[in-house]
Amino acid sequence: MNEVMSRRTFLKHAGVGAAVCAAGGLAVQPALASEGTSSANAWGVLVDLTRCNGCDSCALACKQANQRPEEDQIPNQLSSDSYSFVDRRVYVGDAGQEQQMPVKRQCMHCLHPACVSACTVGALTKTPDGPVVYDSSKCIGCRYCQYACPFGVPTYDWANPLGLIHKCQFCISRLDEGEQPACVAGCPTGALRFGTRNDLLAQAHSQIDSNPGRYIDQIYGESELGGTSVLYLSGVPFAAMGLPTLDSQSPSRYAEAVMRKTPVIGLTVAALASGAYWLTKRREFLAQPEVVPQEVNHDR
Amino acid sequence: MTVEVPLRQKQQTTSAVPVLDRRMVAALLAITVVIGAVAGILRLVLGLGATTNLSDSYSWGIWIGFDFGLIALAGAGFTMAAVGHVLRRHEYHAAVRPAILAGLAAYVAVLLLLVLDLGRPDRFYNFMLFWNPHSPLFEVSWCILLYTGVLVLETSPFFLERLRWRWAGKVIRIVAFIMLPVAILGVTLSTLHQSTLGTLYLNMPYRLHALWYTPLLPLMFFTSAVMAGLSMGAIAYWVAGRVVHKPVQPRVIFGLARIAAVVGLFYLALKLGEVIIAGDIGLALAPTHYAALWWFELLVCVALPAALILLPGKTLQRTGIGLALIIFGVLMNRFDATMFAQILPPGASYSPSLIEWLSTAGILAAAALAWILGVRFLPIFETGEADHHATTE
Repeated sequence: MNEVMSRRTFLKHAGVGAAVCAAGGLAVQPALASEGTSSANAWGVLVDLTRCNGCDSCALACKQANQRPEEDQIPNQLSSDSYSFVDRRVYVGDAGQEQQMPVKRQCMHCLHPACVSACTVGALTKTPDGPVVYDSSKCIGCRYCQYACPFGVPTYDWANPLGLIHKCQFCISRLDEGEQPACVAGCPTGALRFGTRNDLLAQAHSQIDSNPGRYIDQIYGESELGGTSVLYLSGVPFAAMGLPTLDSQSPSRYAEAVMRKTPVIGLTVAALASGAYWLTKRREFLAQPEVVPQEVNHDR
Repeated sequence: MTVEVPLRQKQQTTSAVPVLDRRMVAALLAITVVIGAVAGILRLVLGLGATTNLSDSYSWGIWIGFDFGLIALAGAGFTMAAVGHVLRRHEYHAAVRPAILAGLAAYVAVLLLLVLDLGRPDRFYNFMLFWNPHSPLFEVSWCILLYTGVLVLETSPFFLERLRWRWAGKVIRIVAFIMLPVAILGVTLSTLHQSTLGTLYLNMPYRLHALWYTPLLPLMFFTSAVMAGLSMGAIAYWVAGRVVHKPVQPRVIFGLARIAAVVGLFYLALKLGEVIIAGDIGLALAPTHYAALWWFELLVCVALPAALILLPGKTLQRTGIGLALIIFGVLMNRFDATMFAQILPPGASYSPSLIEWLSTAGILAAAALAWILGVRFLPIFETGEADHHATTE
């Protein structure tokens, strides 16, 4: 075997290596969360904070519908035992007057959900109807979704030695039976409204237009993170209600742009490494003055 | 060549250390492993809530911090394989085997730490069944699995050369035949997952502080892994020499340190330039713990070691301090991204539980002990240039 031959076998090997990398990278790529998958008729919920009296009926209805323990205990945070709760905020107005503000919180069912993009095993998915649903049978409990979600929605069942993630599923089984989500059905004041997101947005805009004193001119969730299925109307700024100030782009846009390039990056690195090896070998070969190849071969 | 003199003196003092000391180190490590194993089993039986101080608002702790840090340091495996097998830089040949063995030990530790952290360790294999190709952790999981396989192949000659069985020679020849594509595959898989660990944080624009968050994170994670990997390669070679009581070649350590320092200067320019161009330099000048951590990472753990390594009049001791600072800095960078540079939800706090500490210490001690025993009993440490042929070519 001389230098030329070993270079040829090397190229063959490099080809096999590159093919293995490519096979891993070019696997079927599902739709990106940053591009959105919702249909025009996707469901939504409109939360009118000006109508909420803080009775906690929604949170208790939620517990019951999801068969959470301690059904009659009012939750004060999201946890594996409560997928929604009514946050208590105090709003201090311009004149210094304090105002008690109940704020219903749950999964926002983003149009471009970062949790779905992040989930290692695809246990979280965005359905075309709007809900972001969780398949507990796939989950490995890595808890990356907890870091990806800008709202702190996914919670882990810490008490269970084989704990799983818990989150609001938009009552998807109730929707399948033609019913409203449990929280909406349980609301006595009309602060929660269920419908298609498009209809709710139109209604919210006309409500703002016809009651300029009642609402601030913003619908939370219309553009936040590229849109959320749950929308909020409020009389006071949303930041004071504990709803984070977010830009209008998908939080996964950079990660997905990089992840899409995985096969290209892999093949480029493999090609560069192969090329570098070939160059070094060639330089070594050219640097050898009149070497008899057989001498080299008998080494091993 | 003048630098060899202090080394020889050092070598003599090392040889004078009684054998018992080595046994005591091994015994201490072994005790740590046993205690850590008990802690790990307790965690697996009792669950995360009962044994850790993790919570919904602080869900990743020291297991993930050490995990991501250890992956960067284990970059010793792929950087030294690239230097030795792909770029064929024979002058660094002696440092290749200690680094690749360290890579295998570290990746096995990484897998163990990951299993402890998973909420459903019984389902660790689910990433093979259910695919989400644009999840950074999905890609990292696959790369770690495949790259650990690559490391097993790359380290297999060390074990096979020890065996006196008739077929061992045949297997060594087969492994040698495929070693180049395996090394290239290893470099490729490493480039992918080292950078993808940075991509992982791109999904947290509202959690990671702006001094760290940038779309360039994948490039920064890869660059710092190369820097840490080369530094670990030099240190592993150095320590391996002490384990087997043989002299090291200072020019190997100086050479690797010099490349690491140059990569470090590029990393420094990248980090500083990004923050200036993004208009975030004001954040670095504000009196916050974020700014302090950021400057510490860059000045104490990149700029200072680069000066220690590159400025004239270098000594092995000065270079060693530089290498240690680089390694500490990259470890800290991964801890910052996971914990200290996170913008926490109100009321979030975390201090690791005893079980978290003991299990982490046990796994790290197991990796160290396995590496030391490997260096001691396998053909890992080669002194001269003359033994290329014993390896894969």
